[in-house]
Amino acid sequence: MVNCSLCEKPAVYINRISGKAYCKKHFLEYFDKKVRRTIRKYKMFGPKEHIVIAVSGGKDSLSLLHYMVKLSKRVPRWKISALLIDEGIKGYREYTKEDFIRVCKELGVEYKIASFKEYFGYTLDEIVMVGREKKLPYQPCSYCGVFRRYLLNKVAREMGATVLATAHNLDDIVQTFMMNIINNNWDKIIRLAPVTGPLDHPKFVKRVKPFYEILEKETTLYSLLNNLYPKFVECPYARFNIRWMIRRQINELEEKYPGTKYSLLRSLLRIISILEKHKDEVIQGEIKTCKICGEPSAHEVCRACLYRYELGIMNDEDRKKIEEVMK
Amino acid sequence: MIEVVVIRIVDGSKEWKISIGQERIKVRELLEKIGLLSNEYVVVKNGQVVSEEEIVNDDDEIVLYPVVSGG
Repeated sequence: MVNCSLCEKPAVYINRISGKAYCKKHFLEYFDKKVRRTIRKYKMFGPKEHIVIAVSGGKDSLSLLHYMVKLSKRVPRWKISALLIDEGIKGYREYTKEDFIRVCKELGVEYKIASFKEYFGYTLDEIVMVGREKKLPYQPCSYCGVFRRYLLNKVAREMGATVLATAHNLDDIVQTFMMNIINNNWDKIIRLAPVTGPLDHPKFVKRVKPFYEILEKETTLYSLLNNLYPKFVECPYARFNIRWMIRRQINELEEKYPGTKYSLLRSLLRIISILEKHKDEVIQGEIKTCKICGEPSAHEVCRACLYRYELGIMNDEDRKKIEEVMK
Repeated sequence: MIEVVVIRIVDGSKEWKISIGQERIKVRELLEKIGLLSNEYVVVKNGQVVSEEEIVNDDDEIVLYPVVSGG
């Protein structure tokens, strides 16, 4: 049996870089210290905040919600709320939604559920079907990502959030970094910073990633030790995504060379600070306001409105406006 | 004597029966035998979370909790 390096109790986790082993109690202390250090290092929160946690109902976001509610007990002027985006994915979302509501009730947190159906008139399943019928060149994750990010920002702002926290962990970040290198997307790499947001556009809610330096294995363990690990339900669209392959490659490297992921993160932070000095070259033009919906956008018309137009799921008035802009 | 360990994914989607012989084998090596990476699973042995360096014995029940959720 492997014992904790601090107290000799049975180990539940080994940090393969330091070689230190942790029992349940000391793992939770290690986890707490690591997240608090990340929050401090990147100046994620001030003393008075309304923090909206973006929750999918998966293990990482339930862990973030659980962690932040506990942390907020030590900060009297923090308010924590939870926001779940219901894309409408049959055989997936209805289960994760149940877990979300249960955990919110247990923690006594106010929550809101915003659905694609309610805001766009269609569920993701319906959108994917329409896209396939129209032979549009987009994958399910493209629609989902654009519409979900759009709603997170808009609804968090409507809820009065001063900051929106997402549960992206170290693994997510370095995978996205690799995907964006492959696609030559340097503007998206800048947005992988631990804190992004409000300076670019008044309607952008400040966004932070408290699990930025936490491995996915660590967030999973946190969820298990706190009874938050959901019934294992996989998004049916996940395997269409290139992320699936990149994740495996990075995990193989990490297995052979522990520390690879932290190393990639350091490269990311370095390149972000270099890119920040050449922002004009990387990001073309200022962040604009979408001429259709009024939300922040990189172009005259935001990606969400463009998708709605291409899918033909937009009202006549907005459709005419887009055609006018595109003339 | 051949010793057999049963490993399953928590949702019941997969199960393996591995003969480990008389060797002292670690969780990490056991996962390697079936083509899995230890950094992609949290391992529960006989109801207790264990590290990947834990030794596996005959009759142990191993349940894997995927780290990679895909969604």
